[in-house]
Amino acid sequence: MSDDVAPRAGRGPDTADRKRLTFWGTLSSWTPYRLVVGLATASPRRQFLILAAFPLLWVLTQHLGPMLQMLRVSFTDAYPVAPGVEQHFTLDNYARFFGDYIFWQPFFRTLTFAGVFTFCTLILTYPVAYFLARHVSRKNQMLMLLLLLIPFWVGEIVRTYAIMILLGNTGAVNQLLKWLSLIDRPIPFMYTSFSMGVGIVYLTALYMLLPLYSALEKLPRSYNEAAADLGASAWTRFRRITLPLTLEGISSGCTLVFLISTGFYATPVLLGGPSTTVFAETIAGFFHVAGDEWPTGAAFATIMFVAAIFLTGAFQKLMNSLRKGDTN
Amino acid sequence: MNRGNRILLSCVYWAFVLYVFVPLLLMILMGFKDSKFIGFPIRSWTLDWYTGVFDDAAVPSAFVYSVVIAVLATMISVFVGTWIAVLLEGRKFLGRTAMFGLTVLPALVPGIISAIAFRIYARWLGIEPGMGAIVWAHAVHNVPFVALVVMARLSTLPKSQIEAARDLGADPIIAFLRITLPYLVPAILGASIFCLLLSFDDFVRSFFLGGYEPTLPVLIFAKLRSGMSPEINAIATIALVLTAAIGIWAERFTRRMSKDT
Amino acid sequence: MTKLTINRRRFLGTAAVGAATLASPAYLRRANAAGGEVNIWTYNDFVPEAFKKQFEADTGIKVNIRLVDDQGKQFNLLAAEAPNPTVDIMTVAGHRFLQFIDSDLLAPLDTGRLSNWANINPTFSESDWSTINGNKWGAPILSGMEVLSYNTDLVSPEEARSWDVLFSEKYKGQTAYIIQDMMSIVMLKMGYDGNMVAYLDDPEKAAAIVEEAKAFLIEKKPLVRKYYDSGAEVQQMFINQDIALGHSWNGPAAALINDGFPLAMTIPKEGSYGFVYTYNIANNAPNADNAYTFLDAILASPEIGASMTKASGFISTYKDASQYLTDLEKKSTSFSDDELENLQFFRAEANEMKYGLVDPAVEAIKAA
Repeated sequence: MSDDVAPRAGRGPDTADRKRLTFWGTLSSWTPYRLVVGLATASPRRQFLILAAFPLLWVLTQHLGPMLQMLRVSFTDAYPVAPGVEQHFTLDNYARFFGDYIFWQPFFRTLTFAGVFTFCTLILTYPVAYFLARHVSRKNQMLMLLLLLIPFWVGEIVRTYAIMILLGNTGAVNQLLKWLSLIDRPIPFMYTSFSMGVGIVYLTALYMLLPLYSALEKLPRSYNEAAADLGASAWTRFRRITLPLTLEGISSGCTLVFLISTGFYATPVLLGGPSTTVFAETIAGFFHVAGDEWPTGAAFATIMFVAAIFLTGAFQKLMNSLRKGDTN
Repeated sequence: MNRGNRILLSCVYWAFVLYVFVPLLLMILMGFKDSKFIGFPIRSWTLDWYTGVFDDAAVPSAFVYSVVIAVLATMISVFVGTWIAVLLEGRKFLGRTAMFGLTVLPALVPGIISAIAFRIYARWLGIEPGMGAIVWAHAVHNVPFVALVVMARLSTLPKSQIEAARDLGADPIIAFLRITLPYLVPAILGASIFCLLLSFDDFVRSFFLGGYEPTLPVLIFAKLRSGMSPEINAIATIALVLTAAIGIWAERFTRRMSKDT
Repeated sequence: MTKLTINRRRFLGTAAVGAATLASPAYLRRANAAGGEVNIWTYNDFVPEAFKKQFEADTGIKVNIRLVDDQGKQFNLLAAEAPNPTVDIMTVAGHRFLQFIDSDLLAPLDTGRLSNWANINPTFSESDWSTINGNKWGAPILSGMEVLSYNTDLVSPEEARSWDVLFSEKYKGQTAYIIQDMMSIVMLKMGYDGNMVAYLDDPEKAAAIVEEAKAFLIEKKPLVRKYYDSGAEVQQMFINQDIALGHSWNGPAAALINDGFPLAMTIPKEGSYGFVYTYNIANNAPNADNAYTFLDAILASPEIGASMTKASGFISTYKDASQYLTDLEKKSTSFSDDELENLQFFRAEANEMKYGLVDPAVEAIKAA
């Protein structure tokens, strides 16, 4: 970084170096700069306050602000407010969810799906991350990881349509099976929870792969070698060493994937069937229809978010106690 | 690790590669189909969809617009995310856990919920829909990823280096700029790539906060109304090739940088 | 090559404008807009590119288009901007007028300012839905309808004469429909008024009818492959042969027919509903004069109407537009008189009551 600051065109490394020193030297002896720094770092306390002020302001206004604003809207009876209409506080939007069972089914379905898909993603990506971290030379790891990640940057919609032509009745998989004479008539993969799962795991694999990989990569190989020397079988080594030591990666990957899967909209709508309606679709419905439905949508979104956070919180507690249990 | 396990593992790995790449290859293949719709069977082939991309001014314009948004949003996220990481890493203070929770909050809010929350908040703040609003939403959404990646790297910074610099009379700011920041460069670059691509690919936030100019994903969504045509596959393929090239270049670049430091 | 260069310069230009917009305060932008612009919200391909270029060259008015993909989203966007919208012209489906009018979002259309108003086929411009509160509210441009589409390799025209085929055991798992639209059709099929105008004074009867239609669709749920939302989805399902037949709008079906896919569409004997896309001027539009200039220009020639039809598959509302269509395009956008006999337009009068009942019913069917 500092190289960019120093003008070095046309000079030898020697002069460039001296020039750079002079730049920083000049800066640190420049009176206004010294005054500012002196003031800012007068005491550790002041230094900390200055360091902390901006991030605190940012997270409060930018990270928390939108959520609080949504919360506020969820307690009103009209939004956006039309001219001449008065806005009132109400709990009706929440009552609507608890009062009508037809909303519960997509709600619980979403949580179940998210859980199942998270588990599938974990099972699928763990061996991949393990292979990458353990059986690929360090030099090539990043490149291979990157190659695996490239397809995730194709837009969600385009990728979803690609899955349709993969799994459709005349899709690639059915054609292959037919060609192999394994089937006579196409298998209807599409518009089931299976096709939806294929699409969602595709989207979430990335968020699972990265934490798992970094957990596995940090794990010293010597532990396993030592255990092997003591005669532990491969399965025992995995169960007693690798798995416990990567629990943190598993826990953060699962948390991220679970939360993200509860929010998917386009993929379940496009790949799911008549009986796989998810809650995001219900929520989005309130924002598509006209009138004063935004507050209801905001209330439903809040319910979903609170439920998802509560579940992942419980999950993290469980993982923590597992981890503690193992180290004792 | 015995041989059988190893073979099994590599089979799983390659199966995953297949799963990841087959839809991608299908997508690329369909960009060459001579029909207005994608899907099998393919009766004849054409390059027209690719040449067409460059004739339709809307596509390159949306591409550039998306890139500009992604770059601006990433710059903001990197600045803020790094700052937060420096505050959080290796420091114990009252409310640190709360601060950490608030920092990662935007990454945990499901897509549609976050888009709607941003839309409502923007209206409340008086931010008009358009480029500024999209950049803002993308930047906020990406901060947690930068903070997490930078914190991970920061935790491995040898404390002795900073102390040495301080002993030699460097003030905290110069010590940060000359020691810490260069050490963080690989992490910042990695996080930037991640942010760029997250922002580039985002549909739902861009849609809710956008104005008259469509970003590439928003344009694709609008085009979809008149059918999923190979044109969209051609656009996606070109965008993919460009982003992949940038990604691989950045990986090489990062590798060189980390060798230097 | 020249073309390429121009394009590149243009998009670099737009990027720079984008960056400048970010910096300039809102009031400056509004002032700029009053200069020579017209802002339009519409669907992809509803403003032909060639026409747009010509119009910009002729009048010096810059045409800004924001693509929308859904009527509800468009309403929400406009509601969020009211009472000072950035938009001049929106594309509203005729039967949704009322909702926009009730919220004060549309300005009445002064047809006297449109010298080309007479170029529109009176079937559309003088239809029952088009005059509300004694005013015209939009210029009809394209017409769509709810049709039964079927793969001609798999389904015979005889079978497709009735909506019942959608619910037959024979095609179990091979059908798809848009559930909201299907509710209206099922009501019609059962002999009721799917527009619900007839029951405005009898809300209990209306609720009972919706309940009956809902129960029917829930009973038939095991037979359906997919409740879909967008035209692109139904097209893809036909191509992948995931479905053999389905309810669709005529536009997406026509596009498949024009591409050579073995598809046909029909208005079944029980009848169906049609709707008309219109260009409307926003209440308090920032560039209302330019908006009238634009509307008059786009109505000027049947050729423009034909090119909208070519791009969208919907039927043109312009007189004589069909003479600019190929035979296949004509075939995919015309119906026999017998079929048209059974067609009626969606009406807006009872929408509030209707959708107050239908929307929850749709949720219930999806959840069942």
